[in-house]
Amino acid sequence: MKESLDVGSEIVAGCKDVFSTMLMVELEAEEVVIQKKVAIKSNITSMIGLGGGLKGLLAVHCPALVATEITGTFLGMDVEEIDDDVKDAIGEIANMIAGNLKISFAKTDTKIELAIPTSIVGDSFYVSGIADSTRIVVPFRMGEGKFWVELMYIMNT
Amino acid sequence: MGKNVLLVDDSSTMRKIIGRSLRQAGIEFDNIFEAADGLEALEILDKEKVDIVLSDINMPNMDGISFLKEKATRESVKNIPVLMISTETGDDIIGEAKALGALGAIKKPFTPDKVNEVLGPLL
Repeated sequence: MKESLDVGSEIVAGCKDVFSTMLMVELEAEEVVIQKKVAIKSNITSMIGLGGGLKGLLAVHCPALVATEITGTFLGMDVEEIDDDVKDAIGEIANMIAGNLKISFAKTDTKIELAIPTSIVGDSFYVSGIADSTRIVVPFRMGEGKFWVELMYIMNT
Repeated sequence: MGKNVLLVDDSSTMRKIIGRSLRQAGIEFDNIFEAADGLEALEILDKEKVDIVLSDINMPNMDGISFLKEKATRESVKNIPVLMISTETGDDIIGEAKALGALGAIKKPFTPDKVNEVLGPLL
């Protein structure tokens, strides 16, 4: 029997699981934002395309300071600026969050396929929405910093 | 003579994390070889003595499933054990990996304890 899925709560749980397991960091999630505008400050965005039972993407948006802190904690070393290690680490974080979301959607008999992560670095870019998609954004606090996990998707019928 | 491991993952970060988790789990290898995809892994298996492979599934160029298929055709390396470490946990894809010779799977994210629990008995 198919379960209904609170996708926002699943993103929160999946992201917290990744950070507590791999970085020993307990995240604080802010209110889940659904289908509303939200201000995102990002210097690096790592995205994963989603296919199969739905089409869309999952993105992790980080300011530079948060991205370097995540990477430094992940690798156990000081990281000063956004370099290849940071792009790779944030991409892998996105990959694991998407992997947990895949398990969540499987509970509703929706099988998701994950693409390879892609990271974009810059001060002036935006991720364009998919027409008629559901857009869910969850802001997370990590210490003094903040980052965002965004999911845009349309169910394939 | 000590043991050698080959880590196969397109993420250099994840290869470092797996290596660190092995040390934290108290599992020591003489050499840790690294490959970014299945093609690189096959090249290393041809050249180096490897006792066990820890491989991701979703990778560019040659993914983990294709790697298992190709490895099974090569007489000199086909019996080297492989353990999957991946975000992929579905019964279908893990079942396919096991049917191709993988000994099991560790789900990302993972702890050193989990690595020890699954890998320890295989060494």
